[in-house]
Amino acid sequence: MFTMRTGAAALAATVMLAALAACGGDGQEGAEPAASGPRTLKLWHYESADGAMGKAWAEAIKQFEATHPGVKVQFEEKAFEQIRQSAGMILNSDEAPDVMEYNKGNATAGLLSKQGLLTDLSAEAAKRGWDKLLSPSLQTTAKYDDRGVMGSGKWFGIPNYAEYVMVYYNKDLFEKHKVEVPTTFEQFTAAMDTFAKAGVTPLAVGGAEYPAQQIFYQLALSKAQRPWVNGFQLYKGKVDFHGPEFTYAAETTADWVKKGYIAKDSAGIKAEDMGLSFIGGKYPMVVTGSWWYGRFATDIKDFEWGSFLWPGNTLHAGSSGNIWVVPENAKNKDLAYDFIDITMKKEIQNLLGNSGGIPVAADPAAITDPKSKELIENFTKLSTADGLAFYPDWPAPGYYDVLVAGVQNLINGAKKPAEVLDELAAPYEENLADIGG
Amino acid sequence: MIRKYSVLVSLAVLAVVMLVPFAIVTLNAVRSPADYSANGPLSLPDGLHLDGIVEFWNRVDFGGKLWNSLLISGSVAVLAVVLSVLNAYALGIGRVRGRTWILVVFLVANTLPQEALVYPLYYLSKEAGLYDTRLGVIIIFTVIQSAFGTYLLASVLGRFPHEILEAAALDGAGKWRALWRVVVPISRPTLSVLLIFFFIWTWNEFFLPLVFLISNENQTVPVALGVLQGDKMMDATMSSASALLGILPAVVFFLIFQRTLTRGVTVGAIK
Repeated sequence: MFTMRTGAAALAATVMLAALAACGGDGQEGAEPAASGPRTLKLWHYESADGAMGKAWAEAIKQFEATHPGVKVQFEEKAFEQIRQSAGMILNSDEAPDVMEYNKGNATAGLLSKQGLLTDLSAEAAKRGWDKLLSPSLQTTAKYDDRGVMGSGKWFGIPNYAEYVMVYYNKDLFEKHKVEVPTTFEQFTAAMDTFAKAGVTPLAVGGAEYPAQQIFYQLALSKAQRPWVNGFQLYKGKVDFHGPEFTYAAETTADWVKKGYIAKDSAGIKAEDMGLSFIGGKYPMVVTGSWWYGRFATDIKDFEWGSFLWPGNTLHAGSSGNIWVVPENAKNKDLAYDFIDITMKKEIQNLLGNSGGIPVAADPAAITDPKSKELIENFTKLSTADGLAFYPDWPAPGYYDVLVAGVQNLINGAKKPAEVLDELAAPYEENLADIGG
Repeated sequence: MIRKYSVLVSLAVLAVVMLVPFAIVTLNAVRSPADYSANGPLSLPDGLHLDGIVEFWNRVDFGGKLWNSLLISGSVAVLAVVLSVLNAYALGIGRVRGRTWILVVFLVANTLPQEALVYPLYYLSKEAGLYDTRLGVIIIFTVIQSAFGTYLLASVLGRFPHEILEAAALDGAGKWRALWRVVVPISRPTLSVLLIFFFIWTWNEFFLPLVFLISNENQTVPVALGVLQGDKMMDATMSSASALLGILPAVVFFLIFQRTLTRGVTVGAIK
């Protein structure tokens, strides 16, 4: 019986081997040409061509080819999902690109740096002055230590752009209800009160996805200082989930639902629908990130709108954008550094800003579009005060879903604030124990 | 009579339920993004807007992806059927000792989630120089599909009338000849159904092609559709356009081979 089974297996194996042998040559042909031929820079990113980053990087490729005669740029637009699923495997093979866009954070760039798949860019960052162009809170997501935890250690990535959470508002509705743009937290709640009394729900909220937890985080940040953020995000010091910051956030979120600032049924709303309802002019305000900016700019036609920073906070949810990384297996690292350097040049950064993105090293005077100016000036305010506090779901793997569920419970009123905080604390502490913090 | 109508009505309801997603996808595929933002996904579009489809086609070089999908699914379908027939001939008609256990092994292999296979396959294909080649994916899916094919065909051929085989042997046909001249022609309906299933299953595969086909020039249709899924944003109208383009080939393929499918099923039933 045993021999027969091995016989069948051997047959299958023979067929496979024959097929393998027949095509072995095929695989080698696809490999890189010999170094003597013309050089190519293999470049990957996953931004859409008509977005701010897509436009700026297309220009950077043009400039690169102009300044590097004889070098061809082989650019491929990748699927975000593909890079997310298989970056580790790709970078560990011969197919690794020379430079690619990658997600910042401990679970992504941090993990790959720990596995030795990314090139240490510290020397280049110092030599080319990238470290001077980026403010401290932007550098946080560029550096990773030996455990793959961001915030300190070597440079493994260079961010080109930034993002932050703000309040977008509908100017027409503000005028109609005679509400001024709030500059303090008291004015902010008073404004929401005016809308709520007039029967208008002031905030469009998507409780089923990231938006609600960002409001929750903004509220916590309003009571927090930098050491608390470093404790929570970078594991430098203990975080008390029943301390004043999170307690205030949980109780205020629940309170806002009671007062009608946040609709009770928003627990089931997706981010996309939240955005659509704001575009449709149904809500006076929406609290969300700069990634919505381009969409609002093209799609809102029926009313005037603007943005302001969450009033009263020095710390805001936000961070650098995705980063350029150079895989350890890259074949043309020198070209990759040259390319990153071009993307940090004023010209490219200004183009990024004028296309609706938030550049990290632009010349503010060169930004011509008034709305973009507002967006970037607010960011400069925030960045010079070192106010980027990252996102609440970063500290632990799978924490996003924990936060979604927790904040949904607050909105539904299904659980008391203190119970929700216990739910948030457990996975966080567990992760802390895992990484030996 | 009443029963007849109630069946008809419930079938009609079922058909509508099945068709609603397609209708919504089609509606949004021909809608302009501004219209989508203003009126939402369910209203009738205010005019035919084909830019999304055209733009998506050019952006991902859809023609190339179609060819890749066709090449991979076609090769897998043919190779997997051949491999299944050879295996099933040995197991079902050859009556190999311990065949039940071999079939159990095949069945277990079938139930393995693809996520569990990814790392071993990744290292094997890297060693063999087949990482990021269409050939690598063809080999992987040929083996995966033929695991199911072997299991199914072995039980079908297990009930193959022995008289026919004995008659063939009396006429002087060897084992090889009996397989190709007797067994394969008689079980052709089953084989063509298997072929079509393998084609469609391979066509719809997403995860392994996503991991193994790195270069854009090697990618298949479902992987190309993934390009539109961003980190935080989605482009609803263009996603619909791409989804429409993505399902059309499968629908066309089904319409062409629909008769083969039904014939295969009914022949099996009469036997």
